[in-house]
Amino acid sequence: MSTLPQDARSTILVPGRLTAASIAPVWQRATQVLARNPDRAVIVDASELEYADASGIALLFHLLTLKRSHGAEISIRNLRPKVDAILKRFDARLAQNTHAASSSPPIVERIGQAVVQNLREAALRVQFVGKAVAALAASIVRPGRMRWGQIVALIEAAGADALPIVALVGFLMGVIIAFEIGNVARQFGAVLYVVNGVGIGLLRELAPLMTAIVFAGRSGAAFAAEIGTQKVNDELSALTTFGLDPAAYLVVPRLIASLIAVPLLAVVADIAGLVGGALVMLRFDVSFTQFYYQLVSAAHVGDVVIGIAKAAAFGVLVAGIGCERGLATGIGAAAVGLSATRAVVASIVVVVAADGIFAVLLDRIGL
Amino acid sequence: MAREIIRAENLTIGYGSRVLLQNVSFSVAQSEIVVILGGSGSGKSSLMKHVIGLYAPLAGDILIEGKSIVNAFGPERAALQRKLGIMYQSGGLFGSMSVLENVRFPLDEFTDMPDEAKNLTARMQLDMVAMTEAQDLMPAELSGGMLKRAAIARAMALGSDILMLDEPSAGLDPITAANLDQTILSLRDLLGFTFVVVTHELQSIFAIADRALMLDGHARGIVAEGKPAELRDNSADTRVRQFFNRLPDARAEMAA
Repeated sequence: MSTLPQDARSTILVPGRLTAASIAPVWQRATQVLARNPDRAVIVDASELEYADASGIALLFHLLTLKRSHGAEISIRNLRPKVDAILKRFDARLAQNTHAASSSPPIVERIGQAVVQNLREAALRVQFVGKAVAALAASIVRPGRMRWGQIVALIEAAGADALPIVALVGFLMGVIIAFEIGNVARQFGAVLYVVNGVGIGLLRELAPLMTAIVFAGRSGAAFAAEIGTQKVNDELSALTTFGLDPAAYLVVPRLIASLIAVPLLAVVADIAGLVGGALVMLRFDVSFTQFYYQLVSAAHVGDVVIGIAKAAAFGVLVAGIGCERGLATGIGAAAVGLSATRAVVASIVVVVAADGIFAVLLDRIGL
Repeated sequence: MAREIIRAENLTIGYGSRVLLQNVSFSVAQSEIVVILGGSGSGKSSLMKHVIGLYAPLAGDILIEGKSIVNAFGPERAALQRKLGIMYQSGGLFGSMSVLENVRFPLDEFTDMPDEAKNLTARMQLDMVAMTEAQDLMPAELSGGMLKRAAIARAMALGSDILMLDEPSAGLDPITAANLDQTILSLRDLLGFTFVVVTHELQSIFAIADRALMLDGHARGIVAEGKPAELRDNSADTRVRQFFNRLPDARAEMAA
């Protein structure tokens, strides 16, 4: 026990073992003793201390370096020479600024930084579009240089593998809109015209839109994550030092694959949706034959072509955004996830906006 | 004889039907620096992963301070594992946290220490490996040597005084590697840490090892044990002399 003739209220008694697991109450008691004796000398009795890990050393160091007023200093007694030697190794400056730097800059500065950051990103995006178009044009001029094997593999991953989900989504869209419009139309005895609504709605709008959204979720995210991971692993730097432009090497095959795969997926969604619609129309006493003739008289080849053309445009947009987000990936594994998320969100917003622009333009030219 | 910290008894390890090491026994004493060495594929890293209880051995037992880690489960095993600080080959730092947050992480998870105490402890641990300057950087921003030193600082965090280092100096420049060796020695000398170091960097082995255990893929076991300098000069085994003198296969055959 302590041999010091010292008032217990101003003494901090250090236990035999100071380890991370048991130090919390000791630290709290030390803080209390110091708070209770603001102008009185405090003694730290370390005679029982046998073992201290890093946190124990940290407590002693904290007590040793604490700034106190004159006459209220802290003195550590009976410290083992070995522990003392360890403590002497540390620079007193370590004790300052123990609260991690968390002070954020003022709001004006943050807004300014965000604006600059966004403008920079916007500039990069414009640059990317230019590069991608140039690279695409260059590879169309010289199709022999294209790596068709990779494009076929991409079409398989982004197109063929997406068939079941696109067919399912298309089928359900057909079922749902036929059912909803059918219930309303039956009240006016216009059940047959439901076929017009389902046909035109699906072919021109819903099939390409839903296909593009599924494509953004599956492949847009995958493109961003793949290219982002390649960037994190320095693969993009390797390409650049080989004299290859990553934009051309990685982006063009994906753009071409999407240009081929997404319209085909949209056709599948068209067919699945019409099948779903026709099945629901049976419930409203419209036979398959009636459905067919009504559809042919209501929808034209132009509607199918417009839908497919829109799907192609959406596909290129989604693939381009996915690749751009991938190339813009920051550092670290978390950045890859962020890029994939951003790619999906940006793709869906851009696709819906583009759909609106298509609607206005097609209306203007009377299609 | 100092207190025995780690003891492996008749350990047989492998994956599925592929046996890497058979009937291996060794022990590590307190404050000792033991180096596990051997050629590529001799099972060094696998041995370490078994010692820390990540994988179960095919046969045999591993005792940490007298308690079997093989037969311990749930919280009991976790308590044994917390005695061991581990530095993984690629660092294993959490990419979404700064260096200081990485070192503080085990303290945040397992102790009720006040924030001020956790920060000071983490900063002192970083100071021990000369990393205070880099405390606010993210792991992705660190160089190879800094990454390994930060990982050592994190390994010490819970007051683990048994540190297992997997290839600490692989891929580092000679100066950084020598500094790391110095860090290991001073942690042992000042704080009494025990080290098990997996490496095949010869200079590092001669600089730090009290004792070396040499594994061999063909023999599936420990082919040599002792002070590195003695093994280099006096071993009867050609392969051991070849390893320590860094000789290619042909010259070794001539020497034999």
